[in-house]
Parts: sequence; C-alpha cells; structure tokens
Amino acid sequence: MVIKREKTEKKYMHYPTVEDKSTEAHKEWEPWVHKGLWAIKGYQVVRGPSGGGTVEEALKRKPKDFMVIDRASAALYSHSYGLVSPFFRGLLDGKLKGTKCPKCGTVYCPPRAHCWNPKCAVAETEWLDLPLKGVIHTFTIQCLAASPFANMLPFSMGYVKVEGADTTLPMFLHIDPKEIFIGQKVEIKFAPKEKRKGELMDLYAVAVPSQKVPEWSCLHKNPRDMEMLQESMKKTLEWVKKRYGIDNSPEVRGW
Amino acid sequence: MARKVAVVGGGLFRPDIWHGENAEEGVAIAYKDLLKSVPNLTPDDIDALMMSYFSDHLNGQLCMGWIIQDYLGLHGKPGYRIESGGSTPIDALVNAFYLIKSGYYDVILIPGWEWMCEVDVATTNEMIASASDTDWDFPVGGYYNAYYAALEVRHMQLYGETCEDLGRIAVKNHNNATHNPYSQWVSLHGTGKITMDDYWKSRMVCWPYRVLNNAVMSEGAACLLMASEKAAHKFTDTPMWITGVGLGTDSMRPGDRTADFVYENFKEEAKIYPDFVEPIKTPYPDMANFASLNIAAKRAYKQAGITNPVKELDVAEIFAPYDGVELVLYEDLGFCSRGEGKTLIREGVVEFDGELPVMLSGGLTSQGHPVGATSLYQILFLYYELAGKMKEKYGPDALQVPDARKALITGHGGTGCQGAVMIFEAE
Repeated sequence: MVIKREKTEKKYMHYPTVEDKSTEAHKEWEPWVHKGLWAIKGYQVVRGPSGGGTVEEALKRKPKDFMVIDRASAALYSHSYGLVSPFFRGLLDGKLKGTKCPKCGTVYCPPRAHCWNPKCAVAETEWLDLPLKGVIHTFTIQCLAASPFANMLPFSMGYVKVEGADTTLPMFLHIDPKEIFIGQKVEIKFAPKEKRKGELMDLYAVAVPSQKVPEWSCLHKNPRDMEMLQESMKKTLEWVKKRYGIDNSPEVRGW
Repeated sequence: MARKVAVVGGGLFRPDIWHGENAEEGVAIAYKDLLKSVPNLTPDDIDALMMSYFSDHLNGQLCMGWIIQDYLGLHGKPGYRIESGGSTPIDALVNAFYLIKSGYYDVILIPGWEWMCEVDVATTNEMIASASDTDWDFPVGGYYNAYYAALEVRHMQLYGETCEDLGRIAVKNHNNATHNPYSQWVSLHGTGKITMDDYWKSRMVCWPYRVLNNAVMSEGAACLLMASEKAAHKFTDTPMWITGVGLGTDSMRPGDRTADFVYENFKEEAKIYPDFVEPIKTPYPDMANFASLNIAAKRAYKQAGITNPVKELDVAEIFAPYDGVELVLYEDLGFCSRGEGKTLIREGVVEFDGELPVMLSGGLTSQGHPVGATSLYQILFLYYELAGKMKEKYGPDALQVPDARKALITGHGGTGCQGAVMIFEAE
C-alpha cells in the first residue's frame, strides 16, 4: 500500500525556511509514521526458566511458557542545533569554525555559544575560522560500532585537538591503525560537497605524511598488542565482507 | 543530633540476558526476597518509595514507576523516580539517605530494575548511547564502548598500563563472579575459572577493550530497605550504617575535559603528568581520569573520617562498565596516586586475598548490569559482607572477607558525567 503524503506540517509557519534539505528525509520516514507505536506486529511463545533465587534454583524449576510480543517505536526528530548552527552550516561550505571567549580567551571546538569557565559568567563567545589542522588527542580502533557505521568497520575514531582550540572534536581517522598514535599531526578533510549533510560525519582526518611513530606510543610499544589487534581487524574485515559484501581492507579503500 | 541512616536489608531477582517475567514481576520477586530475609517488615513500615530505573526507551513505557508501586501494593505512599544514567541506583540511595537524614521519613524502600533486552543489542547500545551528547559524540560511530575506549587509550598513553593489565582485571572479576550464584556469568558460563588465555581469545570490541572487558546487557531487579537509627533495629541486628556520602559531576562531553576549569585547582593530580605529550589547558582530569568521582570520594572520606582508604576500607565495589575504569578509579578514589592504578592490579592488592578486595561480586562485566539495579546488587553484596553473612545468602562458596567493617561503593553515569561515592560501616 502506498500512502500519499499529506501537506507538510507547518510547525515553523511564522518563520521562513531559508534552506530545505529535509523533505526527502520526511518522505523516507513517512511509512514508519504510519506503522505507529502501539500496534502489535506479532508474537512468539518462549519456554524458559522462572522465579527468584540462584541460577541453579531457577533451572531446577519446571519451565514456563512466556508470550513475547513485537511492537515498534520509532520517531523522526526535527532538532535545532541552536546558537551553534553556524558550525554545522560551515561544514557544508568546507569551513571549520570554533568560538572564542572574549574574557578568558579559551577557544572551543566543538563550539559553545557561551563560555563555561565559571569566572566568565556565561559570557557570549565570538566565532572564528579554524585551520584544517590538528593533533590526535586520543583514539580507539573500533571492531564494533552502531548499526549505521557497521559497514565501515574496522575504523578508528579519534578526538582531535584542532590547532588553536583548547577542547577536542570527535571524528573518523582515515589512517591505517598500524600508524596511529597520540600526538600525531593530522589534516582535516571534508567529504565531497554533494555528500555533506552539515554533520560531524562530513569531516575526517588523515595523517600528515612521514611522521615517525614515537617509541612511547601505547599501541606500538608492546608488539603483542599490535599483533592481536591485527588479528581482530582481519576477523572484522571478513565479517563486513560476509555481511555487507564490502571490502574495507586498506589496499582497497586506501586507509 | 544528626540522624544516622542505614541499609537494613534487601532482596534480589538475579540479572540475566533474558527473563520471561517482565519488570514488575521481577521487582515483585526481589521484594518477596526482601520480605523473606526481613521477617519483621510489613508494608505499613514503609514511608516512601525511591524508584531506580534508567531508560524509558528500552521498554517503550513512560512512568514505569507507577506500575511498580501498584504491583507491589504500595501505591498511596509517596513515590519518587530517580534517573541519572548509570548513576541512577546509587543516586536513589543518596536521595533516600538525604530524606531519612532530614527527618522526613524513617523507612524507604528502593526498588531498582532494568529490562534491557526487549530490543536487539545494537538498538540497546544506541538507546544507551543517546545518554551521550547526541549532537557531538553520538553521530561519530556512537557507542559508549568507543568513548570509554578512547578515554582508556589516553590514560594508557599517559601512565603506561597495558592490555595485559586490563586482562588481569577481567580475569579477576569473572573468577570472583563464579563464587556468586546470582551472577549472570554463572548463568552464561557456569562456575569454571578463566585464564589470561581466555581473555586474549575473547573478541575485540574497541581497542583496547575485548568482550570480557565490557559490561553485559541484563534484565534484573533488586530492592533495598533503608531506615533511620530509630527504625533500623526493628529490621535487623546488622544494620550497615552510611557514614560518608559524596556526589560529583563533570562535563557531558569527555572531549571538553582538556579545558575543564572547574577542576583547575586540583594541583596534586595536575602535577603528575608526563612531559612527552603536548601540554593542555587543564592537565586534570584530561580525557583520562574521572574528576567527578575524585571530588565525590574526597567529600565522602571527609565525612567518614577516612585518610588512608586502602588501609581503612575492607572491601570495595566499583562501577566499571569497562575494566579500564576500575584501574583509573583506583587512582581517583585515592587508593593510589594518579598513574599508579596498574600497580594495584599487578601486585594483587585488589584480589580477594589482597589488602583491599575490589569487585568480589564480579561487578558490571560479570555479576550483571541492569542499570537501575546494578549498584543495588553491589550494595546488597556489601551489606552481607559487613554483616558477616555472605555464606548465608550467597552459598558455601561465597567470598566472605573476614571481619569486614568498612566498605566503599561508587557509581556513575555517562563517561563519569555524574557520580557518587558512599562509605558504609558495620555496627
């Protein structure tokens, strides 16, 4: 059944929409709205242990049949980025912005519209453009991720201290995990313009070339840790290939 | 005179990956377990309920507390819901403590629960991760595993613990859980011990964390009974007195803790900072330590008159959804100085036969982690430790610390965004 979309809800009727990249998303979501939150979609009957006490006591009892129903809950949220909206609009134009407190001089990226230094009494901050350069403050190498990112596994997520900023911004690191280290200098890149959505995934970092991994790098100083990580990444690559038909090995995707 | 407040008993419905019973039935089973172990308790004794549950998303039910209070036949009494992420259960205890201490109530029941397995694991992880900043952290790979792993990597880099140290903690806690017949680990795995080999074989989740380093998803419930000095002895001969309570908070986003002005004056912690990394605005907590719990511990120790926690405490339960948190908290709870967490696990100080056994219950990775009940299980465990009745409740194989007098519990939510430390003393 195809449900025809009714006229768009005019939530912002008193205010002009100056740019609209939302209609497609609402269209995509429309069928889910009609599925509703409460209608029961199905059930199964599961025979399992019951009652209190220890594991052993529960398993000794005669099992009971439990009826397990399926019901859905999903929603499309139209959420405002608030006063830091310029940061996200900046991403669309390939610009990285931060904010600076006029009182204590702290530079925020992620930006804050108000300074959080207790001495500054929530002073309003000022916008500034930041260079597309930074340093890896910390990172992890993920062999598991939330569903929307699972087809990109394995990958590294890092918190990058953008040059000139005092706080750190999370982003994907398009760097071979064998070469990642804390303190590594990175260049910040943008996804192709047509793919940008004004969100953090528009950004990623690549390593500034020919940096030497320092002896103290926690990922590298114990050869066994690196060896075990390589093994886990290999398994993850196989899983992604099997599940999504995608080859994410460094030779193929380039990082 | 200031009123004293005690934990005077509790009951539990064990955590497991799935239960046929739903939340209200699970809480009822835990309440029944409480009534059995505290025969003098009647519903009339209970002045108010403090309900501890984290998520409205996981079951698609708002105001579940109302279901619970009428299911137990306790509606009509004042009821409060506490929610602060992973901090929820300890926060419920703290709030009940304040209400009793103020003289407003004498007896409070804390039912805590979480049914986390109605949606698939990926969705549960996403729903939990929506407790992180959904504008700034969640959209980039968004799972708590990843945030906590990044925090651990920073700490590892600054202070030199290794994957092996994280494995040692995993082995310790899982093997402790084999002595706890209510633990999820016993249900999933049985009572066989694991070794470092099993650790290395377990699946990598987010480097450096493997499956055995991570908290489990659980369904389960617990009920704790708290009472004033006036009422306590009606219920038990072995009340566990609360002698110190400290709360603390830190930034929502861990990435902001490189310019964390609130903790600027933590000079001792800031001093201990290696010179091979670039300096940042505020060296403590950085994305490495948990300042919220450091300040909470200082507040709790001051009230309880504790100056040397390792010497004065007999047993401790820590809230560690990932094993590095346990190691880092040895430091922030003052068991050692910043950077020395690794020494405590390497030297066995925190093992059952060590100077300060930590996580004898198995903790979040192996006892179980149904969020709203998690700390309640751990507190109940400490109650039996201090009462000297471990074997009575947890069976002949239970890990009873001899002559335990003082215990510590800590809980927190987010990436240490909010947390509490409490000190308990046996009568």
